[in-house]
Amino acid sequence: MAKKQDLKIAFPMIANYNEVIRYFIEEGMDQTYIKQPKMTRRTLKLGAKYAPDMVCTPFKTILGSMIEALEAGADTLIMAFGYCRLGYYGELAEKILRDLGYEFNYLNLAEYTTGKYRDYLKALDALNPKAKKVQMGKAGLEALKMMQYIDQVEEKYYENCGFAADRKAYKAAYRRFMNDMHKAKNVNDINEGYERCMNTFEEIPVDKGEFPLRVGVLGEYFTVMDEFSNFDLEQNLADMGVEVHRWMNVSHRNLHYPGEKNLHASIKDYVKYEMGPTSTANIWYAKDCAEKNFDGIIHVKSAGCTPEIGIMPVLQRIGQDYKIPILYLTYDSQDGDAGFQTRLEAFYDMIEMRKKVNI
Amino acid sequence: MEHAYMGIDVGSISTKGVIITKQNQILSSAYIWTEGNPIGAVKKLLKLLQEGFDDKNYKIVAVGTTGSARKLVGTVVGATVVKNEITAHAVGTTTFHPDVRTILEIGGQDSKIIIVENGVAVDYAMNTLCAAGTGAFLSSQSHRLGIPVEDMGEIALKSEHPTQIAARCTVFAESDLVHKIQVGHTKQDIVAGLCAAVVGNYLNNVGKGKKIIGPVVFQGGVSKNVGVVQAFERALDTHVIVDENGHLMGAIGAAILARRNKKRTEFSFDVEDMEFVTREINCGGCPNNCEIICVYRDGDLIDSWGNRCEKGHIVAKKASHLKDVNV
Repeated sequence: MAKKQDLKIAFPMIANYNEVIRYFIEEGMDQTYIKQPKMTRRTLKLGAKYAPDMVCTPFKTILGSMIEALEAGADTLIMAFGYCRLGYYGELAEKILRDLGYEFNYLNLAEYTTGKYRDYLKALDALNPKAKKVQMGKAGLEALKMMQYIDQVEEKYYENCGFAADRKAYKAAYRRFMNDMHKAKNVNDINEGYERCMNTFEEIPVDKGEFPLRVGVLGEYFTVMDEFSNFDLEQNLADMGVEVHRWMNVSHRNLHYPGEKNLHASIKDYVKYEMGPTSTANIWYAKDCAEKNFDGIIHVKSAGCTPEIGIMPVLQRIGQDYKIPILYLTYDSQDGDAGFQTRLEAFYDMIEMRKKVNI
Repeated sequence: MEHAYMGIDVGSISTKGVIITKQNQILSSAYIWTEGNPIGAVKKLLKLLQEGFDDKNYKIVAVGTTGSARKLVGTVVGATVVKNEITAHAVGTTTFHPDVRTILEIGGQDSKIIIVENGVAVDYAMNTLCAAGTGAFLSSQSHRLGIPVEDMGEIALKSEHPTQIAARCTVFAESDLVHKIQVGHTKQDIVAGLCAAVVGNYLNNVGKGKKIIGPVVFQGGVSKNVGVVQAFERALDTHVIVDENGHLMGAIGAAILARRNKKRTEFSFDVEDMEFVTREINCGGCPNNCEIICVYRDGDLIDSWGNRCEKGHIVAKKASHLKDVNV
């Protein structure tokens, strides 16, 4: 068996999930995890400089944060895959980084997606052939638990933070939780952090009045979850006094997905075929929001995201059938956030005035 | 003394202002070019508004601002309400045309569509990424043709066979236009073609997927172009209403919103004589390096914005006097 090599492993920044990867790498694989700085405009500029111009924005931020990880001292990069162009991005990013002269080990998960467990284990072997399977399995399950907690905390936070009596304290609890996950060394740390956060959320009074505005946020996997990429859409909405709902997250999409067959059954009037990695789920969720009488839906995508462009006509039909306003936001690496603010404010005014008339 | 309300709409190309009464009667209005200097334009605008204003019988108790410079101008005039142009247009138009179902709006650099049901906006869209099919497109082509942009509409009406112009992209439209001129199309056909191109572009981009139901109201600077109005009527096969105050609708909406809001601050025309300066400083607190806009009145900081986190406030505080800022 090959010898263990000490690696410094990094993963591109995505939403709040890097702590989950960190936990698995450190506790399961016995390797060092390097966390690059949070994404900033520098990250995007770096990515945009070296990426093809017409590629979607997430590729640019991913490439930028890979460069920032290498700058932070990482010598091994892991890249995820997906069922759109993302499946090819791993290869493209590696080529660009090697052309730039960076030296690093590269684990492109797209190369191991045969569907057989054996092949996934091969991927892990590449990170540390000496790692014990039991330890890996245990840390893996704990990491998944952390991921679900992160998603649950986020969900609760954005649903309520706009109505909390003490918004600062509410946000502080949220931030503390993320920091706790950053420090977590074992499953107790994870559980304690989660419980403390949820208890604080419960303790802070939340007054939503009789008819709070409710908005469902959906769209392209990366941009809809990542607050840097969507200009902090959910916080902006919440600050206006809106209950923000977002189904799309890693736990829902990758762990508790009701399955395409079930989704198709409930949206069979709208959809015949699968159209992309998240299309069916988004159409299903849009219909779900409409049926729950939400006040509006916001559809988020990066410029040039083909699967999400594909579902827009379907969303327009749902909007007409259920009389629910839908705002379509397209994020481009060239955007300033002035246009974004204008559209968002106008959307808020619209659903608020509409609600007043309808009550 | 009766109460009056002022609305100011500062767009990329033009600056509009109105003063209205409680009954939405217009007491004074003005329309001038922004010329890349929103603060200067607003000072000029205020002078014009003041000239037509009867300050013996009325006093202005609230001010609303809208348009792309709404925040800056709102700070300068001490606005009680700062609203985006979509809401302002919807509110203004539904006040004067309560039965309107579709509002088409084409301004200097943006265009939008607002769908209305029972007097409230229920859906809207705004152009993204590109300004093809807006006033900027028409005015750049008018320069090329040597025709004042104001005359384009009348010229277009004379055409019987509007020229087909590929108008997906402003730059390519220009290439196509040059080509059509060189092969001998008449000016009036070309101008009519440009008007039709604006409409085609608008309906294909902003209007895509929206059900356009009458009554249709068309406004924004481009609505003053009768050629575009006619092209809209042909494309939609319905009568298109152009309000005589259509170009002021954003400002009127802002004034109405200021009236509806509870906030009251008496407005004084003295701001005409104060000196306002804006400075952009880079935060430097993290690699994001937010650009913070600081607004100074007679040398003192009155407002700042543009930072994404709290660090920016600290940086702005350090620059609370204009003399502390390195230029």
